[in-house]
Amino acid sequence: MSTAERQAELALPSVAERRRKKRSGFADNWWRHLVALIGVVIALFPVAYIVSAAFNGDNSLSGSSLIPRQLTLDNFRSLFGTQRHTTGHATFQNAHYLSWFGNSMIVAGGTALLTVLLSALAAYAFSRFRFRGRRMGMLTLLLIQMFPQLLAVVAIYLIVLNTGDVFRFIGLNTLPALIIVYLGGAMGVNTWLMKGFFDTIPSELDESARVDGATPAQVFWGVVLPLAAPVLAVIALISFISTLNEFVIASVILETQQKFTLPVGLWQFIDQKYSEHWGPFAAGVLIAAIPAALLFAFLQRYIVEGLTQGAVKG
Amino acid sequence: MSAGTRALSLPTRLISAFSGTVGLVIKIVLLSLVNAFAIWAAVVLSDHHKWRALGLLAFVTAAIDAIYLTRRWTLPLKFLIPGTIFLLAFQVIPVAYTINVAFTNYSTGHILSRSEAIANIEQNSLTEAGNGASYAMTLMRSDKHQLVLALLDNSGHAFIGTPDGLRPIPRDQVTIAGGTIASAQGYTPLKGTELGSIDTELSSYKVPVGGGKAIEPQGFDSAVVLEPTYRFDARKDAFVRVKDGVLFKDNGRGSFVAANGAEIEPGWKTYVGMRNFGRIIHSPLIRSPFLKVFLWTMVFATSVVFLSFALGLLLAITLNKPGLSFQRTYRALLIIPYAVPAFLALLVWQGLLNDDFGVVNRAFHTSIPWLFDPNWARVSVILVSVWLTVPYFFLVSLGALQSIPSELIEAAEVDGGGAWQVFRKITLPLLLVAVAPLMIASFAFNFNNFNNIYLLTGGGPALNNSPVAGATDILISYTYKIAFAAGKGQDYGLASAIAILIFITVGTISAISFSRTKALENLA
Amino acid sequence: MKVGRRPAVLLAVVLAVALSLVGSRSAPAAHASTKAAKLTIWVDNVQKPAVDKITSSWGTRRGVDVNVVFHSFGTIRDDLKTVKAENAPDVIVAAHDWTGDLAANGLVLSLFPTKALKKQFPKYALDAFSYGGRLYGAPYALENVGLVVNTRLVKVPKTFAQFEKEALAFKRKSPDNIALAVPQGSGGDAYHMYPFFSGLGGFVFGHAKNGALQPNKLGLASKTFLNNASLIDKWNREGLINSKIDYGTAKNAWLKQQAAFWITGPWEVDALKASGNPFRIIQLPKIKYQSVPFLGVQGAMVTKFAQAHGVESLAKDLVASEMMKAGFQLDLEQANLRYPANKLAGKRVNDPILRQFGAAGAGGVPMPNIPQMGSVWAELGGAWVKATKGTGATSARVAFTTAAKNILDKIAGG
Repeated sequence: MSTAERQAELALPSVAERRRKKRSGFADNWWRHLVALIGVVIALFPVAYIVSAAFNGDNSLSGSSLIPRQLTLDNFRSLFGTQRHTTGHATFQNAHYLSWFGNSMIVAGGTALLTVLLSALAAYAFSRFRFRGRRMGMLTLLLIQMFPQLLAVVAIYLIVLNTGDVFRFIGLNTLPALIIVYLGGAMGVNTWLMKGFFDTIPSELDESARVDGATPAQVFWGVVLPLAAPVLAVIALISFISTLNEFVIASVILETQQKFTLPVGLWQFIDQKYSEHWGPFAAGVLIAAIPAALLFAFLQRYIVEGLTQGAVKG
Repeated sequence: MSAGTRALSLPTRLISAFSGTVGLVIKIVLLSLVNAFAIWAAVVLSDHHKWRALGLLAFVTAAIDAIYLTRRWTLPLKFLIPGTIFLLAFQVIPVAYTINVAFTNYSTGHILSRSEAIANIEQNSLTEAGNGASYAMTLMRSDKHQLVLALLDNSGHAFIGTPDGLRPIPRDQVTIAGGTIASAQGYTPLKGTELGSIDTELSSYKVPVGGGKAIEPQGFDSAVVLEPTYRFDARKDAFVRVKDGVLFKDNGRGSFVAANGAEIEPGWKTYVGMRNFGRIIHSPLIRSPFLKVFLWTMVFATSVVFLSFALGLLLAITLNKPGLSFQRTYRALLIIPYAVPAFLALLVWQGLLNDDFGVVNRAFHTSIPWLFDPNWARVSVILVSVWLTVPYFFLVSLGALQSIPSELIEAAEVDGGGAWQVFRKITLPLLLVAVAPLMIASFAFNFNNFNNIYLLTGGGPALNNSPVAGATDILISYTYKIAFAAGKGQDYGLASAIAILIFITVGTISAISFSRTKALENLA
Repeated sequence: MKVGRRPAVLLAVVLAVALSLVGSRSAPAAHASTKAAKLTIWVDNVQKPAVDKITSSWGTRRGVDVNVVFHSFGTIRDDLKTVKAENAPDVIVAAHDWTGDLAANGLVLSLFPTKALKKQFPKYALDAFSYGGRLYGAPYALENVGLVVNTRLVKVPKTFAQFEKEALAFKRKSPDNIALAVPQGSGGDAYHMYPFFSGLGGFVFGHAKNGALQPNKLGLASKTFLNNASLIDKWNREGLINSKIDYGTAKNAWLKQQAAFWITGPWEVDALKASGNPFRIIQLPKIKYQSVPFLGVQGAMVTKFAQAHGVESLAKDLVASEMMKAGFQLDLEQANLRYPANKLAGKRVNDPILRQFGAAGAGGVPMPNIPQMGSVWAELGGAWVKATKGTGATSARVAFTTAAKNILDKIAGG
């Protein structure tokens, strides 16, 4: 494969150079640990109260005591339907938590994947081609997202409502509808971030591939995308997490318990005017944060080490 | 060395996968699926007689085919089209919709169409006539299978009501049980499940009793004498108040209004031209606090972005050290605030910052009025927003740092640049190329960050000398206050008009900032 | 463009897929003329079991298919404005303070229950669902706050002076103690503060002759109230009322016996029972006037969609007759633990806590149901916050006068 050889030639020297590692001991790094620890404490301090509420029996999101008054797993049980959750004499039917969780994974996962794809395609065009309206196009992408969203929800609802009249599978109360609505925001900022990264991938690489007869599509899939792993991972993560926590649009489009995503489903616990049930809500949020944390742990490698794994840089 | 080879072999494999026949087949299959789906959609649309949508579909499909089947000049479009379709559908159209609403009177009392409003006024203007006489009602059918009402008044007189009028019937022809007529000679009572099937007939059933009054069934057991308060005069296209003949005319803004200004509810939704914009200019409620609110919005958005970026970058650089122990753990923990729904975190912060009972003041033995003093509340709002935003910039900086060739930095260090110098002269400028647009986007996001303000302080605390706007109200939360919690309730028309002005403002600021960043130089 | 095998392959795939899709397309929704009429009800998850129960027996009797749909309570009102007619409900459960908004929008139908049935309801419950002199909803449950007294810590006060003395004495016992757990927080809470407002002679809107509320007759800064407002400054000085106490703080303080008095409502019954604290619920003792709470009335309404769906009479039969009867109201009381609006049903309530809350609501004022109330909440709550935030508080006279002015500005419109 001549392409590979050419790339190897370009890449090898810099890889070799990069291998020189500096030794780093604790003496040099103590301040890094200090900064990181302070950061972690501030980051986790309020979260600790959510953990506390999840294990607390009194359903409050209390700002006054970190140690639960009554330590209990009831909140978790009530999520999975093994514990009947009562308010007054009424009983919430909560056995839907697993389906909410599944729905959220489908929506957030699908949105994240497609967002990465759509924004990468666009960023490639903006980074590698010179065409009329390019500058304008990129500006518009960013500006359009600055429109206050307070009112857009009504419009989105109406669009999905009318689409659903004809095409049931992307109508109200369907997960695909929610995904495609989220994809409306796929390009925007992500394309900018991605383009910035693509720009740093030396164009000699594409050009050499083009010389070997590769089409632009082949260069995109074969050369640029693999090298852009860190930024793809960042965007996947940002998109996954923000979709996972999105409430307003999801609550407008989804209508039945079986179709709810986590935030919409959990919202019922605190929907009552004063008898909020923070306990199950906090428990549900905690469990929901696990996939996000796992995904980050998994993607971390690509985000920070993707390139140092011997890829190619100017 | 082996790592390098492995990484290189991946692109090679991918290239071969997408080259030649395989790539072509994938392309053809995808395009075919799009076309096939379009044909199916066309059939469904024609089933539903949605001709305009059909036209749009045909146009979009043809455009896609043209773009992907043509060779050269459409090349950039091939990469841009997929995202653009979604962008148009769910970002551009909602914006267009909002702009459209800004020119209407869409608000509480103006959501129906004109004909719906007229029908509603006619129905809901019915009032109980006289002393509110009501009848116990039994539904029956005559021999000729006609629906009639067997009515019993409070003093025990029995009647048969038909669309022709009310007719008394002698007591000996009826049996009365449980306060209603159980049977009547010549009529068969309707029972049980039969009732469900006559609903449409029944709900428009009227037994005229003279003077414009009529007995109308309410449900299945009772009927009341009703008379209209207003009568629609189709010739004059206006409502007439029956009592005194006062005319309520269409005021051109979606309401029937009398000469003295009295208005009938509901009105209807209609276009009102620039009226909403005129209200913005003339209303002291909006005009007087505008500059103050605008300045605070700027301060808020700017400081949140810069502080978050600085802290996020600091953390990213701190942890971007090969071989640092616990590195992964630190990073994972720092992301957590981002993985928790923002509104939940905001409510927790509200509790933590409580002046007398919050943990923050107790832990530090202070008594800072975090949320109750105007200036401290502003500080709190900024700090909490920074807390929420830092993980984003941490993540982004972490990714962007990888795009800076370490050779450059090493070279600079070899040349004798101090760490700070290297950072300022090399790392930061390179980083900003990628991050500056995100900072501008984040600025715009925070400019309109309704949630943070609304959930933490509700725009408060109230200022003594000021009208409605509170100390921490930003433009969008203030918009909410005057468009959704003032006047007669929700005023979408006004809110949309303000949203457009906010959009123009934030767009202009952003565009100016852009022209000052390096980001656009690359685009020239 | 090169012409080769490509178009042929393309065409083949397109045709194959298109044919299979078109073949399997769903027939245009044939509006099957089902025999039984169908009635759709939107109800929140707390009340759904009770509504299910009563409507299924009613539906069988009337020969109608009842479709009870869970809908988040907080979104029922606004979703009714955008819902498509096909999916729209014929009946909704509602809070009485939506009445003005829904009626002004023309979304609900007026109701005419029989006189005999109306007599079973207190006048204020029917007024709560009336707008412009017409009734738009069938009330079925009442809720209001009361003063919950921990009887282990203090004596149940008979007069306001006693209450004030007990509360302050309790507060002095420990620096952690709170005199009165009444929630406000930085955003304020005009609802929980209303007994103090009414006790000083305050009211929100005045009435017209026909009972309709007058948005321009604001009672927020009435002479009577302002004359009594210096008491608020006194409460602030002595620490009886502290606006920094928010909902969570108030609740925790009472549960942990750091407060002997708590202003709350029946939604906290579970917490009250679980606390193990002995308690009594009373109406806040009279200050200058009877200290009545705001009343919230829940009920059901018939929407304008019932007409188009051909179930108008059915819906009215269900709402204005069936649901107003004592039997249904008792069923619902069991389900959502609120005092029934129907007086006959009220007499049969056994739950002692509910009875006490019911008594604490005597003479209460329904929250104004006209849309202009939206301009009031934040300002009224804010005035209390400003006047009771301890050191640096604004004088009550100034705080409430400013609030009144702001409300009038807001009502006049942006």
